[in-house]
Amino acid sequence: MKNYKVKELMVPIAEYATVPETATLFEAVLALEKAQEQFQATRYSHRAVLVLDKNKKVVGKLSQMDFLSALEPQDTNLEQIRMFKQFGFTRKAVVLQQEEYLKNSPPILDVYSKAAKNRVTQYMRRPTEGEYVNENASLDVALHQLTAGSNLSLLVTRDKDIIGILRLADVFAAVYHSMKESELKLADGETE
Amino acid sequence: MKELEKLFDRIIQRVNINLRELEFDVNPLVRQLIPTAQMTKFYAFYGITPHHPLNLLFRNSNLSGSYFLGKVGVTNSLLYKSDIRGDELKKCGDSFQYQEFDIPVDQDEQISIQDSFLIKNLVHNFSHDPETLESFFIQDTVSMHYANIHGSPTNGCYLGPFSTVDLTTIRDCVVGAYAYVQAGEISHLNIDPGTVWVRKPDDFNFMYRYPVSQLSNYIYFSAGSPPQGVFMDFVEDRKEAFQRVFQVVNIDTPVSIPASASLDRYAVLKPKTKIGENVLVAQRAFVQNSSLGKGANAQENCYIINSKLQGNNVTAHGAKIIEADLGKNVFVGFNSFLRGRPNARLTIGQDSIIMPHTIIDIRKPLTIPSGHLVWGLINTAGDIETNSMSLKDFSKIDTRICKGSMLFEGSGSSFVTAFQERIHHILEANGAFYSGNANRGHAQRNQNISFNTIQPYPEGDKEGLYPTINIQP
Repeated sequence: MKNYKVKELMVPIAEYATVPETATLFEAVLALEKAQEQFQATRYSHRAVLVLDKNKKVVGKLSQMDFLSALEPQDTNLEQIRMFKQFGFTRKAVVLQQEEYLKNSPPILDVYSKAAKNRVTQYMRRPTEGEYVNENASLDVALHQLTAGSNLSLLVTRDKDIIGILRLADVFAAVYHSMKESELKLADGETE
Repeated sequence: MKELEKLFDRIIQRVNINLRELEFDVNPLVRQLIPTAQMTKFYAFYGITPHHPLNLLFRNSNLSGSYFLGKVGVTNSLLYKSDIRGDELKKCGDSFQYQEFDIPVDQDEQISIQDSFLIKNLVHNFSHDPETLESFFIQDTVSMHYANIHGSPTNGCYLGPFSTVDLTTIRDCVVGAYAYVQAGEISHLNIDPGTVWVRKPDDFNFMYRYPVSQLSNYIYFSAGSPPQGVFMDFVEDRKEAFQRVFQVVNIDTPVSIPASASLDRYAVLKPKTKIGENVLVAQRAFVQNSSLGKGANAQENCYIINSKLQGNNVTAHGAKIIEADLGKNVFVGFNSFLRGRPNARLTIGQDSIIMPHTIIDIRKPLTIPSGHLVWGLINTAGDIETNSMSLKDFSKIDTRICKGSMLFEGSGSSFVTAFQERIHHILEANGAFYSGNANRGHAQRNQNISFNTIQPYPEGDKEGLYPTINIQP
C-alpha cells in the first residue's frame, strides 16, 4: 500500500475558503459557497472556512457544525432543557419539552438574521494542539491524528506557517484507493 | 464568641469542599446573614412525651431558638430557629420494607446533625435509605431559611431558602431557592431555583420549572442580603405573634380544642378559629379566623388565614392558605402558597392534590375543580389549563406529556397512586382517623408534651455555644 505524504493529499490554503477575522457569519458562508463553486473538480466539497488575522495567519476554523450551532437560539432556558437528561428523562422527553418551549420563541428567520450579522470570531473554534500536522508526515500519522481526536480535518504546517488543510474525505479516499490497489494485486497472484 | 466564629468557618469550609466540583461557594451567601450576636439571644427547647424515645446529645453547637423531639444528636453545628422533629423515626424492632427486602431495625433511629448550619429549617420524618436505616444524617450542609429536610439524609449540600428535599438521599448537591426534590437518591447535581422534581426511577418522572422572572417576585436570594420577596414579607409580617408565644410561659387558648385534637404550645391560634376533631396544629403553625374540619392538619410553618378546610386536609410543612375554601381530602404540598383575596376567594374541590411548591396567587375568584392535580404558578383562570389536569386524565398517561413548563414521563397511574397513598399515610400518622381507641396519631400523642429549655454560654470565648449536654430518660 502506498504511503502518501500529507502534502500530497492536502488542499493548499490558497484554494481553501478563508475570511478575515472581521468578517460576519454571513460573509463566512458566502466565502464557503464561492470556494465550493471554484472547487468543482474534486468529488469532495469544502466543509469549513478558515479565519485569518491581518497577517494572514490562521486563527480559527468555522465548520458546518459550528455554523449550524450558531443558528440555534442562544437561550438559558433552552440550555437547561437540554440538560434534562441528567434528571433521568429520555431524549424523546427532552425533544418534547424543547418543542413546547420553542412555540413561544422568536421566529427562526429572525434568529438567522440576527446571527448572520455577528462576527465569525464569535462562533469559530481556535485550533487545538492535536489539529496540526506537518506537511511531510506520513498518511499513517495523519490517519492516527484524525481518528484519535475525532477531527474532520487537520491544519498542515511548514515550519510555523499553515500551508493547507487535510480533510478526512481526502484521507479516506487515499486509504481506500491504496487498499483497493493492494487487494487487486493480491487477487492477480502478486506477492508483496 | 471566638469559638462560634471558628465553628462557622469550619462548616463553610467543609461544605465548600463537598461542592467544589459544582464550583459553588456558600461563603458569600451565608456570611453575616445571621449576626453572631443574634445567635446568643434565644433559648433552645426540647419536648418530653411518653410516646417517643428521649435521647438528645448536643456537642460544640449553637442551638438558638431550635426545638428537639425524640432521638437527636447535634455536633459542631449551628441551628438557628430550626425544628428537629424526631416523632416519626424508626424504632428498634420495626421492619423496613424496601423493594423485595424486609430489613429489621436493630436500634432506635437517630437524627444526626454534624458540621452543618440550618436556618429556620424543619427536619422531620425518617431515613428512607435502606443503607442508613438507623441514621437520618445531615452532614456538611448549609440550609437556608424555611427549607424542609424531610426524610432525606443529606451530605455536603447547599439548600436554598424555601427549598425542600423529600424522601431523597442527597450528596454534594446545590438545591436552589424554592426547588423541591423527591428523587430517591441523587448526587453532584445543581438544581435550579424553582425546580419541582419528583422521580421514581423506571416508573415516573415529573418536572416543572418556574419562570425565573416571576419566581423572583416571591423569593429572591443572592449574596449580600437576606432572602427577599413575597414569601419573606409574608412571614416577617406575622413574626410578632410568634415572639409572644415564645416569651410567655402560660398561653391561653382563645378557642376550644376537642379532646382528640392537638394544638402545639408553640403554635399561634388567633380568635374566630374553629378546630374540629382529630385536628393537628403543629409548632410554629399560624391559624387565624379559619375553620379546620375533622382530621385536618396544619404542620410546621403553615399559615391558614380566613379559610375553611372541610376535613381530612393535609397542609404540609410550610404551606400557606389565605382566603380559600378547601373541600374534603384536599392535599396542599410543602411550601405551597395559595392566596385568594377577600373579594376573590380561591375554591378547591374535594380530593384535589396541590403539588408541593405550587403558587396560586389570584385577584379574581377562582375555582379548581374536584379531583385535580395542580402544579406551578397560577395567577388567572387561564393558567389552570396549562397547570392542572384531572387525576383521572393524568392516570391515563403511559408515555410522556408536556404542558407549558411541566414535563412528565412514565406511568401517570403510578404517580397518582403514589401521591394518594402517601396522603393517606400522612393523615393516618397525624391521627386524622382516630376513633376513640384506635388509629392514634400525632394529634393524640402530642397533646401532652413537657417542654424544657436550655441556654448557651452568656459570654467569653464560648459565648453562644451550648455546653455538651446528654439528655436521657
